[in-house]
Amino acid sequence: MTPLEIKGAMAAVITSAFILIATFTAGAIYQNHRGRETEPGNKPLAAEDLAVKGRSFFLRTCAQCHGRDAGGGEDAPSLLKLQISGAHMTLVIQSGIKGEMPSFSKKYNAQDTAAIVAYLKSLH
Amino acid sequence: MIPWDKLHGAMTHFPIALLLFSTACDFVSFTFKKLPFARGLRLVSFYGLTVAALASLGAVVSGIALTKGDLWGRGDLGWHHRFVWPAFGLLMGLAVWRLVVRDAMSRTGLSLYLILMLVASGFIAAAGYFGGEILLNGGVP
Repeated sequence: MTPLEIKGAMAAVITSAFILIATFTAGAIYQNHRGRETEPGNKPLAAEDLAVKGRSFFLRTCAQCHGRDAGGGEDAPSLLKLQISGAHMTLVIQSGIKGEMPSFSKKYNAQDTAAIVAYLKSLH
Repeated sequence: MIPWDKLHGAMTHFPIALLLFSTACDFVSFTFKKLPFARGLRLVSFYGLTVAALASLGAVVSGIALTKGDLWGRGDLGWHHRFVWPAFGLLMGLAVWRLVVRDAMSRTGLSLYLILMLVASGFIAAAGYFGGEILLNGGVP
């Protein structure tokens, strides 16, 4: 390859990386902004909005083990077709599972947990 | 309220069509490089690729708005994104490379460029296919 081609390749890699990073940053900012908009205080949340809020919590915390698509990870099961009730989901999120999953009662209050449960139910 | 679904649908077809057309022009011009229209085809391919890269920015912005910032997703949306991001990155990179190098390509550079154009075309075609599947299955979840 000629020096001009190498220079072009470097410019191409830098431009691509910059544009992709900017795109993903914009997506994250949008999601974060939308998550804040759906927080309680402004208006009561519809079921759909509750699930949207739950999704932002899920992506922030649960996705680290259960995967971004809730399809499961190396050490955590899939949450896509849970056969347990909402109350049971709430209990697991709040109390955790000994030796397997931590409790999130300090991180998420009852309303936040309800949002996560709403999101998990929407995955069915 | 901006109809992002309609805008995204309208905007994505330009980069898809232009990239595929640009790739086809490149292959024809470099396969039949002695023909009188080969140089003209290379020029068409260059402008096609440049406009495709610019048009893809609009497609991506409308897509981000449509998915409300979800750049991965699951199911068909997940597959759409798995193909669309590499295609977008390659498209921008190839357009920049072509802008810098123009027609002063070595044999190795040309071969690499054509291979990457084919790969980008494959990615964008697959992304378009899964975009269509999302529509057929009721739109973005």
